Amino acid sequence: MTRRLSLTPYLFLVPALALVAIFVIYPIGAVVYYSFTEYDIITTPQWVGLKNYEHLIADPTFWKALTNSVVYLVATPIVIVLAILLALVVNRRLPGISLFRALYFVPAVSGSIAIGISWRWLFERNGMINSILISTGILHEPVQWLTNPDFVLPIAIMLTVWAGIGYYAVIFLAGLQNIPEELYDAARIDGCNDWQKHWHVSLPGLRPQIVFVAVISALAALKVFDEIYVLTNHTGGVLESGTTIVFYLWRQAFVLSHAGYASAIAIALLLVTLVFSIVLVRVLERGTEAA
Amino acid sequence: MTAAATRIPGAGRARARRRLEPIFWYILLSLVAVVTVFPFAWMLLTSLKGPTDEIFSVPPQLLPGHPTLANYGAVLDQLPVPKFFLNSIIVGVAVTILNVLVAALAAYPLAKLRFFGREAIFYLLLGTIIVPAQLTYIPSFVMAVNVFHYYDSLPALILPNLASAFNIFLLRQAFRGVPNDLMDAARMDGASELRIWWSILLPVIRPSLAAVAIFTFVTSWNDFLWPSLMLHTREGMTLPVGLVALQGFFSSDFRSIAAGVTMTVVPIIIFFMIFQRQFVRGLAGAVKG
Repeated sequence: MTRRLSLTPYLFLVPALALVAIFVIYPIGAVVYYSFTEYDIITTPQWVGLKNYEHLIADPTFWKALTNSVVYLVATPIVIVLAILLALVVNRRLPGISLFRALYFVPAVSGSIAIGISWRWLFERNGMINSILISTGILHEPVQWLTNPDFVLPIAIMLTVWAGIGYYAVIFLAGLQNIPEELYDAARIDGCNDWQKHWHVSLPGLRPQIVFVAVISALAALKVFDEIYVLTNHTGGVLESGTTIVFYLWRQAFVLSHAGYASAIAIALLLVTLVFSIVLVRVLERGTEAA
Repeated sequence: MTAAATRIPGAGRARARRRLEPIFWYILLSLVAVVTVFPFAWMLLTSLKGPTDEIFSVPPQLLPGHPTLANYGAVLDQLPVPKFFLNSIIVGVAVTILNVLVAALAAYPLAKLRFFGREAIFYLLLGTIIVPAQLTYIPSFVMAVNVFHYYDSLPALILPNLASAFNIFLLRQAFRGVPNDLMDAARMDGASELRIWWSILLPVIRPSLAAVAIFTFVTSWNDFLWPSLMLHTREGMTLPVGLVALQGFFSSDFRSIAAGVTMTVVPIIIFFMIFQRQFVRGLAGAVKG
């Protein structure tokens, strides 16, 4: 493949590269710079050296936010398992199955804000969840779900999982439909029952989709904001129980105007994302070698 | 259900099981459907309730006793919900078309042409996938005010969202699946690379383009944090930002909030019911790994 045209490939790439330079590369550089300054977004940044980072390491709220964001990653394995199970169910040829598939997709398209508002009302003190639990005798007193520090983060994680299952199930369903029927026939001849069939054929066949979903759902979990914002009424929850890294970044930068300090938080977010991406890519590589 | 099936004795057992199995699956499917749709169904029912209907009771009252559309009227009187829709559609459509175009342009040479720096450029773009968008919001905010002067206007939601490394990556995969013979034949006939890209390759990868477009549209439609930083005038808000304004405005009027949520959620659900088939088909092609 020798090419006479030399400039053409670059011309195709110009729009994308220009946009990435302005809206990704430059901002990374700017954030690194801001993180060494005291900055309120309006006046000129003042160089303060490592002060923001020293403050960061000693800031319990930052560590709480970091912990919450890492805890949030449990959403990834849960959503993968549930979405695969759902995909196996909706992969059956039953009349009307496409209606069910469409219904399961509803949370994925309705948006995290609409979802957050809906669930927030369900979890109100006198909301539906307490009402059901009391009338079935499971509870005697209403529980303050959203003002109890133990419940805020689990509820937010549950929402993320709930909204993600149908979405990721579509991806797994597409993967299942790409697996050749002969593999299942062969498994049947070898005497596999339904479960063994899925274990030995479906699961290995879904490897690319599992990797894909693991990466996008983990990256999404590290960036959670909307659910926390709505569920805690933009407070972050009692005792910062729902505060994630991005939520803390937002509050420092855009509520308190501590853009320099928020930039240091942003750098920490980038490092955490980098570490988890490297871990995921390692796992991914090992997975494909085994396949 | 399976327990009931196994209780039937002897020769009829297998046949009964075959007959009962679909029933088992339908019950399971319906239970999952109840869990996924329930919060929105509850919103819809609440939005139709009159002032004398209970919304917080033990046990819960599901159906409105005196159905009314008054809550919808109250929301529309106070907030420009149709404007929210229009703004979301403008941003969603503009971002989707331009983003997919930019991504398809960039993906073609990365998949099919040989040139100096190809690997470097590809990995540079790939690397930006892991950069959280929120990291860029502080400098982007400063640029919006000082450089682009589009603070509190829709271009602020469009311009920063036109390049997606993720879409470039997916479309590169799609282009790589196209046989080179197709392009070589066109090159013999003297077609330019731009022409080959537009009239030969793009039609071939249409399912992937559709999938990427739908991904992009949903993301744009539901985007909240950046739009909430940029938009302040009520008439200029997109739906998620408008919904939060609504929640603040009606604070404890659950019926009106429910009406607002229902109004914003139902149209997008209908839209995706219509395009469901394209979406599933497109995804099958896009995520082959």
